[in-house]
Amino acid sequence: MLTVLSWSWFSALVFLAPHGDDICFDREIIPVLTKAGCNAGSCHGAAAGRGDFRLSLFGSNPAADHRSIVDAFQGRRVNRHQPDRSLLLRKPTGELEHGGGQLFDLDASESQIILKWIGQGAQRHAAPPLERLMVTAEQTQFESVPNQTNVRAEATFADGTRRTISELVTFSSMDSTALRVGSDREIQLLRPGQHVLLARYMDHVEAVQFSAPMGNAPPNALWEKAENFVDREILKKLNELRLPPSPLANDTEWLRRVHLDLTGRLPAIDAVKSYLQSVNDTTRTELREKIVDELLNSSAYVDYWAWRFAGDLRMRSFPNEEQPLAAYHDWLREIIKQDQGFDRLARLLLTSDGDSHVIGPANFGRMVRDAREHAELVGQFFAGVRLGCANCHDHPLDRWTQDDYHGLAAVFARVQRSRHVRFGERGEVTNLRTGEPATPRIPGQRNLPALGDHRSEVADWVLDEQQDLFARVMVNRLWKALFGRGLVEPVDDLRLTNPATHPDLLALLARDFAANGFRLRHTLRRLALSQSYARSKEILPGNQADDRYYSRAFPRPMEPAIFVDAIQDVTEISEPIAQANFERAIHFVDSSLPSLTLDALGRCQLGPSCDATPTGTYNLSAQLQLLNGAVINQKLRDPRGRLQRQWAENLPLDQIVQEWYLVALSRSASPTELEHWTNELATDDRQEQQKRLEDFAWSLLNSRAFFER
Amino acid sequence: MDKNMKQRPVRCDGVGRRDLLKVGLLTGWGLGLSQYFARVADAQLQQRQTAKACILVWLDGGPSHLETFDLKPDAPAEVRGPFRPIATNVPGIQYCELLNQTAKVADKLTILRSLTSPLGEHGLANQYMLTGYEPSPALVHPSYGAAWSHLQPTSGALPGYVAIPKAGSAGAGFLGSAYEPFATQGDPAQPSFRVPDMDFFPGVDVERLDRRRAYLEQFDQRQAEFERSAPSSDRAFAQAYRLVTSNEAKSAFDLSQEPQDVRARYGPRTFGQSCLLARRLVERGVPFVTINYSGWDTHADLVLQLKEGYSGAKLGVGLIPTFDLGFSALLSDLSERGLLEQTLVVAMGEFGRTPKLNSQGGRDHWPRVFSVAMAGGGVRGGQVIGSSDRMGESPRDQPITPKDLAFSVFTLLGLDPNTELLTPDGRPVPLNQGGQWIQGLT
Repeated sequence: MLTVLSWSWFSALVFLAPHGDDICFDREIIPVLTKAGCNAGSCHGAAAGRGDFRLSLFGSNPAADHRSIVDAFQGRRVNRHQPDRSLLLRKPTGELEHGGGQLFDLDASESQIILKWIGQGAQRHAAPPLERLMVTAEQTQFESVPNQTNVRAEATFADGTRRTISELVTFSSMDSTALRVGSDREIQLLRPGQHVLLARYMDHVEAVQFSAPMGNAPPNALWEKAENFVDREILKKLNELRLPPSPLANDTEWLRRVHLDLTGRLPAIDAVKSYLQSVNDTTRTELREKIVDELLNSSAYVDYWAWRFAGDLRMRSFPNEEQPLAAYHDWLREIIKQDQGFDRLARLLLTSDGDSHVIGPANFGRMVRDAREHAELVGQFFAGVRLGCANCHDHPLDRWTQDDYHGLAAVFARVQRSRHVRFGERGEVTNLRTGEPATPRIPGQRNLPALGDHRSEVADWVLDEQQDLFARVMVNRLWKALFGRGLVEPVDDLRLTNPATHPDLLALLARDFAANGFRLRHTLRRLALSQSYARSKEILPGNQADDRYYSRAFPRPMEPAIFVDAIQDVTEISEPIAQANFERAIHFVDSSLPSLTLDALGRCQLGPSCDATPTGTYNLSAQLQLLNGAVINQKLRDPRGRLQRQWAENLPLDQIVQEWYLVALSRSASPTELEHWTNELATDDRQEQQKRLEDFAWSLLNSRAFFER
Repeated sequence: MDKNMKQRPVRCDGVGRRDLLKVGLLTGWGLGLSQYFARVADAQLQQRQTAKACILVWLDGGPSHLETFDLKPDAPAEVRGPFRPIATNVPGIQYCELLNQTAKVADKLTILRSLTSPLGEHGLANQYMLTGYEPSPALVHPSYGAAWSHLQPTSGALPGYVAIPKAGSAGAGFLGSAYEPFATQGDPAQPSFRVPDMDFFPGVDVERLDRRRAYLEQFDQRQAEFERSAPSSDRAFAQAYRLVTSNEAKSAFDLSQEPQDVRARYGPRTFGQSCLLARRLVERGVPFVTINYSGWDTHADLVLQLKEGYSGAKLGVGLIPTFDLGFSALLSDLSERGLLEQTLVVAMGEFGRTPKLNSQGGRDHWPRVFSVAMAGGGVRGGQVIGSSDRMGESPRDQPITPKDLAFSVFTLLGLDPNTELLTPDGRPVPLNQGGQWIQGLT
């Protein structure tokens, strides 16, 4: 009895474990199909398959694929007796009519491997999962284009075995005009700049960056002397790309920029004057530190950052329910004011229950309609993951599966989204893959028991030190706020296949942020005091093509709300926002209520695709509003405003011009500028004088000098 | 006779030495010489007669092909859906019964019944359909109107690209905000409808506007010197200036100047009046107008959403009757004014709907096969191109990708699909990649 049992056990083992030269379905056949494009979304990998043959997208579900290939269709896809008569071969080799055309020849290695596998019985052996995919290139940095190199790939499996699997990896380029993948894994770099090669094998995707000089700066090791890691990483990349860094901005440019970026406000006239009086080469460093610290502790700072994050959290009001938005916004302001760690913010947003009219963070789950949207917002805000794709199929560009998506949604399925938010008794989410209730799950990691409240485990996941998911997406947001562009763009889409322009810098910033208690002020201070932040907009020969490596400051228009507030400050006439009594546009964080002015200027509308920073100059609609609308014109006409008072008091023209330069451009007018404008504006006719002053101020507020930071 | 003449290419010698080499290669792949020549001839033909304007009717959300232009009366009830097909004025072509006005102008329409795409998520599918490029994180491509207004800039006072009432997904992509469409805002069906900020602010006249423009240039110039940065030409300001200083241009946006009977013909609702505004703009020289008509994401209750509009409606005011009234009026009005030949009209959404009704009596997203309607601008009328299978599940013949559609639309608009656009970092990107001319379109 015992012998029989052990014999059958032994035979089962032999049946399952691959022999030395056995073809492994998961490790070899699926990768071959992936490489040929069979399981792509446009072919059999579509949710409904194609031609009645369905494969999982990019082979993410090998068990199901094995059934589709071997068992389905009365087993006609494989013919174990005459392997070369199998449909699995006759279709892609073009022997039989195939919607996808001919993909490889009968004597190609793909055919041989499939033939051999079918000959061996077309089995699926248990294979340990892939733990690591490592792609190496002979060279990743080049001195010129066009140029070429070769890549190879090695897989490490969970049982510790390693294999070279270069020929089974699907290599693709994110931009085939810049980087081309040739036969035999030859990589051709065709254009200057940094370009990405993607490698896909089994359920892993890796990105490899290649670069070639964009400019002509001589190689240097300046970066080694940088005082902090921000400047070091930025200069290192500039050196790699031979981009010459532009000189530092002058004092008033820096002052205006740092005020706008940390507080969303222009510096007051007195702040400009006192800075100009005391700044010199010996005081500069200390003075700037002092200014940054003052700004970080101002009430304007709280207003500004609460406004920025309110957008990311999709804050909005409910009809006839004013309290939730107020409670939520006040709570966020308090966290920012006290510089509480954002790890705490994350935990509270993910786990808070209670009366949403009182408990601010309980509103996080009320801003979305259901558990799926809840999961998507969690993914996007806390993890920089856009899970949406994984609703219907495994994410094609990332590692997230349908089980991850529905599993995360299942964690939030029982959240009751009424006034009193609580974790209820009932509620489930259907996993669209299985049609069954989804099992709660930490994406990419593990299933959780069906019962119980697992929200705090989601917080553990996004705050986990190994991955720094939340820290990375947060510092990326802060970086974008100060530099105009995220290290990863879009700013909350930190996919494996969407690598950062500066991967090391992103990792260092994230670690630094987490290690310092997830506090905004710490990281903002670090960024604002870096040299990289202090560069001028000057374009040097050789760095004109740079739009993402920070060799110079990139001009950035103010966001509509910041712009409207700045106009209000400069003209001293307030702007009515959304028929409500908001002191400033920045206090208006309700994305569901319209505001004529802000909407015409291109305010971000409610929705996941919203990106808070406009990319260029204003478009025609906004321009018409500025040209003919009230937003500027009315404020210059108002007798209580700065301009009309100056006119009524009949102040000397040079004094008026100087004041407008200081208040709007945060610098003094040069003697030539003063002379130019006093000549231009001078007239004996008081009425004409009034008109000219209006036209002067209007032009100033419409100029790039005003609306760019 | 006349029709045949038009379809014959004027020049038959347009095949050069390089093309002949290509023919040699192609025949090796099984494409016959005559087929190759037919393709070249077809493409040449419509390059000869190009549209001067385009109206894109964007049905946002994904209209059901099975309830509009591709009905399956013989399919089981859960596929067939609630509506019946009716005959059109072209023998053998049927539309949905709710399209009874459009059925009377079927002789002006080509229906493409075999559009196919892998993308079933709104955002991604919108981009694919409106640009002809599958969305990529590396680059957001410009939509048709933005690309056209970039390549054929208007020097006149009217904007080159207008969206009614909003741009939606039909934006400028990497071309930047200066090529975003001019959005009219508001609701053209409201008596008070005015495009905002077209008239001078009280007390400001042309003279002062000129002075403001001069001052503004001085500021921008000085700032560029101060920052040692590059002065930029502000295209939007120049465009705005031209528009507000031209009464003629401004009147193009003034629907109240249309006679009552014309306004009535398009129906009282927003979509119809948007169509009328589009016609008015095109007639006065705006080359590209997108009408954004949303609400087509009908996951539940097709009868309510597509036909009735509100429960218990006696006269249907749902999506399809509303579309039917405005769209048919647009086609006949353009035709009567002699504008249809030179105005390409395209009606489409981002995908079709699932062949099987769901449990809520709606249909979900279905990109594998769906329909697009085209008219004018050289497109042949009274025909159907391509077909879907028995259940409206997959293309049965002549599958057409959004790339093919883009190739064909650009060609009809007189743009060579190989024309290169420059991205901000100076990278050349062709207008279209991988698309093919849709056989039989002209």
